[in-house]
Amino acid sequence: MRRRHLLRSATAAAIAAPVLGPSRGRAQALEKVSIGVLKLASSGPLFIAMARGHFRAQGLEVEPKYFTAAAQVPVAVTSGDADFGVTGLTAGFYNLAGRGALKMIAGQSREEPGFQLNAYMATAKAWEEGLRDLKAYAGKRIAITTTGSTFHYSLGLLARKYGFDMASVTMVGLQQLPAMAAAFKGNQVEGIVIPVTLARQLEAEAGGRILGWVGDETPWQLGALFTSPKAIDQRRATVEKFTRAWAMGCADYHAAFNARDAQGRPAKGPGYDELLDVLAKAVEQPAARVADGLPFVDPQARLDVGDIHSQVAFWSAEKQLRGEVDAKAIVDTSFVAGHFNIPRG
Amino acid sequence: MTPERPVPFRGGGFAPRRRRFVALAAFAVLLGAWELAGRGGWISPIFLPRPGTILGALGDLVRSGALAEHLGASLFRIAAGWTLGSALGFAAGLAIGLFSLARSAGIPIVSALFPIPKIALLPLMILWLGIGEASKVATIALGVFFPTVIAVYAAVDAVPRNLIRMAQSFGVPPAAILRKVVLPGAWPAILSGFRITASIALILVVSAEMIGAQRGIGQFVLQAGNLMIPEDLLAGIVVLSALGLGIGALIGTIERATTRWR
Amino acid sequence: MDLVVSGVGHAYGALPVLEGIDLHVASGEIVAVLGPSGCGKSTLLGIAGGLIEPGAGAVRLRGEAPPRCLNALTYVFQDFALLPWRDVAANVALPLEHHGLGRAEIARRVDVALERIGLAEFRGAWPRQLSGGMRQRVGIARALVVEPAVLLMDEPLSALDAQTRDLLLEDLIALWRATRFTALYVTHNLAEALRLAHRVVVLSRRPGRVREVVEVPFDPDARGTPEANAALARIQERLWGLIRDEARDAEREILAHDA
Repeated sequence: MRRRHLLRSATAAAIAAPVLGPSRGRAQALEKVSIGVLKLASSGPLFIAMARGHFRAQGLEVEPKYFTAAAQVPVAVTSGDADFGVTGLTAGFYNLAGRGALKMIAGQSREEPGFQLNAYMATAKAWEEGLRDLKAYAGKRIAITTTGSTFHYSLGLLARKYGFDMASVTMVGLQQLPAMAAAFKGNQVEGIVIPVTLARQLEAEAGGRILGWVGDETPWQLGALFTSPKAIDQRRATVEKFTRAWAMGCADYHAAFNARDAQGRPAKGPGYDELLDVLAKAVEQPAARVADGLPFVDPQARLDVGDIHSQVAFWSAEKQLRGEVDAKAIVDTSFVAGHFNIPRG
Repeated sequence: MTPERPVPFRGGGFAPRRRRFVALAAFAVLLGAWELAGRGGWISPIFLPRPGTILGALGDLVRSGALAEHLGASLFRIAAGWTLGSALGFAAGLAIGLFSLARSAGIPIVSALFPIPKIALLPLMILWLGIGEASKVATIALGVFFPTVIAVYAAVDAVPRNLIRMAQSFGVPPAAILRKVVLPGAWPAILSGFRITASIALILVVSAEMIGAQRGIGQFVLQAGNLMIPEDLLAGIVVLSALGLGIGALIGTIERATTRWR
Repeated sequence: MDLVVSGVGHAYGALPVLEGIDLHVASGEIVAVLGPSGCGKSTLLGIAGGLIEPGAGAVRLRGEAPPRCLNALTYVFQDFALLPWRDVAANVALPLEHHGLGRAEIARRVDVALERIGLAEFRGAWPRQLSGGMRQRVGIARALVVEPAVLLMDEPLSALDAQTRDLLLEDLIALWRATRFTALYVTHNLAEALRLAHRVVVLSRRPGRVREVVEVPFDPDARGTPEANAALARIQERLWGLIRDEARDAEREILAHDA
């Protein structure tokens, strides 16, 4: 136990190394907090805030706990293995939050127009047979990871936008991205919702057609920073400090990666190369690939609260939630100023 | 007077026996304690729902008719996959047990392929066999095949050679030796193998139903996990356990009926 | 029918176990092969019945097979070699099943064989339910059911206790009196050989060679008189002198082997 702890601290120190320097004595005064996280570019604000010393400036020493699947992060926060968590929002998240185990405190990534993060695709065969626009998704088999996933929700938004019945779509849950890609290549499905890297690959290798991007077609609040209600009650100051540092990371991230030139094309913002390097190291991917899939992050870490309410309503209608989930009760808007789209009443 | 003393009893013990009612009582105590701890708030329902909640989830499954659908889909996959894997594994195991050529080629191949995690092959299974029943049945069959091969050839190896020599000395033809000596001699060990492979089939139905299943008890468990609904997950596991017990009892019956001579 | 073994030799790899064995078992005669452990007795029996290919020499059957004989050479094994999943009657029926006999004919022959060795009331028993002596009786019934020309008996009494051994010897003598069967009887037990055999062939230790052939001057069923006993005692004494050193060596070797 102790050794593992030391190892993790060492990892954290290594990531923070450029700023931390040799000053060991000060580190002892820092308050330790842990956060459950995936090694994905969407967690970029965390890695940047660590690298730039935003947490240390708040008197915090952050220990990241890495997970391999989005579903594990809310579980880790629920069980107390991590103080904070940051991932995409799934029905599983809302089921835990609805039982009073979690509260969202800040935004993470959003699907926004102009950001090509996840693609709606058609197989070459389905394209030949007439699946050429997203309206035609009605009645087709679409590969996703699982019911209750972010892909499922994106499809739900698509159905609402184009006015087709969600029940007419056969969602083929294949658990993992490689299995989804295999089903797509083998024409076992007509369509797929899949992250950009794999989308490009399916385009090149299997003649798949990208019909649209989730961000362009159906923007939504993809991820959030969350913690336990207990932490908010008992360590409010810590949560405040953490959120402040997180928001600074979001601002740095946004400035570097979400900049657009006059024509609306991606442009390199201040610190782009340095921070891309930080991200590439943290997610253990080549910088070029990371650069291909950089999501939009709100510069002030704000949440689209209205969208959270829509999500809860959608999952409830899809019968993916057990019991009543009160969208109002699972968001704590007091840590970040300016959350928008807050429903009245 | 000659001293005299009784010889104290020093034997006994070290012979534990199973008492049926004790097992039932232990279960009852365990479940009761669990239920009370849940009701008393000692165990959070997020981590471990109480037995009553699980029973409720199970009841919902039965009432809605979903259980029958899930069971029907899964039982077909288990039965087809197990039968296919067992039949092929039996043939291969027998060949390895009887023929030098099959043995020399087969044992290294089995050793090399057995440890491959079947879940790692799911994308390939989808490419080869699609996302319909074929890939699900094949996933189970593949998991059942290798342990069956090993169980069968080990069982054939364990048939006493003197019985085979005996049959040869009485001029029994080779095919009849196989039928009358080798197979009956190997049968009890093969049945033990079936016990294990039936459990493997049950475990693998969850993996198999990772492949785009719309229903099935494995799919139900997976989905409950993804959605973080622990009472559904545990209800699904209760159903899987009950299936395991049922299949075990079935094999036990076959075992008793066919090995009375033991 | 006579069994003629001529010039038989055998080796396991570089280890010679038999060398230049000549033997003649005449019809109606019991010939005992006596020797210490490791003298190749069992190998000789395996060669005689066609289960082991001899390294040298040959085994032949001479003369007409007895009427109704389905299998000229059958074995009785030291460890009985019964099929545990067949009851007594089905074990005895095994050698009959591939000769195109009808079900009723098989049942009739099995009944005769069981009757002959006193097993009639055990026909439905499983082997595990029987004592060692009864199991070997099943083995003998099975060997006899095909009316063999020569019975090949491989230490058939060695796995039994002394008392059971005596009872079975009496049964075998009674059986010989009734049927005059021909047998090659391998044993390491001198007393057993002298009770049963017309002739005792003494083999030397590795490699097994014929050291001595002793004619026993009384028919098996005529032994037991004071006169016969006296003659047998003299033979026993002489043979014991012949084999005791080798028997001791053999025993030492096994013990050394275990250690």
